[in-house]
Amino acid sequence: MLEFEFMRHAFAGCALVSVIAGPVGWFLMLRRQAFAAHALSHIGFSGAAGAVWLGFPPLAGMIAFSLAAGLAIGSEHEADRGAPVQRDGTIGLVLAASLGLGTWFLHMANGASSLATTLLFGDVLGIGRNTLFSLLAVAIVCLSGLGVLCRPLLFSSLAPQVAQAKGVPVKIAALGFMAVCALACSACAEVAGALLAFSLMIGPPATALRLNLGPLAGVTVSTLLALFLSWGGLILSWETDAPVPLWIGLGAALLYGGAGLWVRFRNLSVRTTSSIRAQ
Amino acid sequence: MHLRTDLRLENVTLSAGSSVVLKGVSLQTSLAGITLLSGRNGTGKTTLLRALLGLDKPSHGSIFLRNAVPEDIRKDVGYMPQSIGDAALAIPAFSHVLNAVGGACWGLPFHWRARRREAERVLKLTGARVFAHRPLGALSGGERQRIGLAQALIGAPELLFLDEPLAGLDHGAQNEIISLLCELSRNLGIGVLMTSHETSSLKDVVSRTLLLEGGHLRARI
Repeated sequence: MLEFEFMRHAFAGCALVSVIAGPVGWFLMLRRQAFAAHALSHIGFSGAAGAVWLGFPPLAGMIAFSLAAGLAIGSEHEADRGAPVQRDGTIGLVLAASLGLGTWFLHMANGASSLATTLLFGDVLGIGRNTLFSLLAVAIVCLSGLGVLCRPLLFSSLAPQVAQAKGVPVKIAALGFMAVCALACSACAEVAGALLAFSLMIGPPATALRLNLGPLAGVTVSTLLALFLSWGGLILSWETDAPVPLWIGLGAALLYGGAGLWVRFRNLSVRTTSSIRAQ
Repeated sequence: MHLRTDLRLENVTLSAGSSVVLKGVSLQTSLAGITLLSGRNGTGKTTLLRALLGLDKPSHGSIFLRNAVPEDIRKDVGYMPQSIGDAALAIPAFSHVLNAVGGACWGLPFHWRARRREAERVLKLTGARVFAHRPLGALSGGERQRIGLAQALIGAPELLFLDEPLAGLDHGAQNEIISLLCELSRNLGIGVLMTSHETSSLKDVVSRTLLLEGGHLRARI
C-alpha cells in the first residue's frame, strides 16, 4: 500500500498527529478536561466551515476558531474551589455558539453536505504535501509549548493548591495549555475528523492513566498507542474499505477496556500472591 | 542566618465572600513548635491560612511572616491543603512528590537525579517511601496525608501550614500523624501551624492555640 503517494502521506500525517495527541491528550485527561478536547474539535469544525466559505484553507479556520475558543475556555481557569462546574458550563456555551455559527457557515458555503461530511469525519487519505507541512509546523509548536509549560502544568495539575502556594502561575499555565490543546485538536481533526478527533486525544491517554503510569511513562505509552491506533486504523481501512475513524474509535474503546481488564487481573494476582505469602 | 518564627497581623480585615473572617485584628505570635488554629466550621480557618500564604488578600491591613510579606517568603513555607491529589488518583504517589520538586520552573525537567534525591529525602522523612510506588487512589487516608506532608516538605521549609491534616482519619492514623508532626517540629525545627477540629487529640502537643471566632483571633498558650 505504500507504493501510493496518498498512503505515504496518510501514514506521515497520522504519525505527526499521534506525536501531538499522545502528550497533549495525557495532560488533558490528567486535568479532567476531556470535554474541552471534545468541544475544541467541534469548534474547529465550525472554523473550518467558515474558512471554506471565505475561501481559506480549512485547517487555518480550524486553528483560528479552536485557538480563540481555547483561550476563552482557559480564561475560566481552575481555581481551587468549585470551578469545574463553571468551567464545563463555559465550554458548553462556547461550543453551542460556535456550532450555531458552523451551521450558518455551511449554509452559506455551497455543497454543504459533502463539506460537512469531510470536516466531521476527516479525510486522512486526502492529505496533501502542504497539509503535511502545516501538521509538522503545528506539531513543532505544540511540543515546544508543552515543553515550556510542562513543569508548572504538571505541578498545578497534580496539586493545584500547593502549586498556587508555591507561586506557580497557574492561570498562565492553564491558558497556555488550552492554546496548545486548540492547535492539537485542529491537527487531530484533520486526520480523524471533528467528530472523532477526540478519540485520538482521549483514548490512548485514558488507557495510559488507567494503567497507573507516571508522567514520563504515561506520555510515552499514550503517544505509542496513538500511533498504533492511527496506523492500525489506516491498515485496517485499506484491508476492509471501512473508514479510518471507525477503526480509530473502536480501537480506542477496546484499548481502554483492555487496560481495565489488565489492571483487574494484575490487582487480583497481587492480592492472591499476598494472601499466599501471608499463609 | 536563622530567621525567627513569627507571625504578625497589623489591623487585618479579611473576608471570604460575604462573611468576615478577621475584623481589624492585630496580633503577634511565635510559630515555634506546633500551633493549632482552631475555630468552628465556617469561621474562615482555610481562608486565613490562604491569606498567610499570600493567596487571598486582606481588604485592609498587613500580614507579615518573619517580617516579610507572605509572597516573599513562599520558599520557606510548606503547605498541605485539606484534599490531596483529588485530580490525579491514578498516578503513582511518588510522581506527585517528584513533580512538586522544581515544579514552579519553566521548561523540561532536567536535573533528574537531584530531583529524585529530594523526593526520596522528603518521603523518608514522612515514612512514605514504602508505599510511594502505589497510585495515590490506592492509599489509605493516613498514607495520603504522609504524601501531602512530603510535598509540603520539599525545599526544606521552616514553616508548615497544614489545613485539617487529621480530617477523615481514624484514631490510630491521627496519632501517627501527630507523632510525625512532633518529630518534624522537634528534629528539624519546623514551625507547624495547623487547623483541626481534633483539639482533644492535640492538647498535649500544641505549643499554643489561635482561636478564630466572630472575626477575632486570640492566642492562647
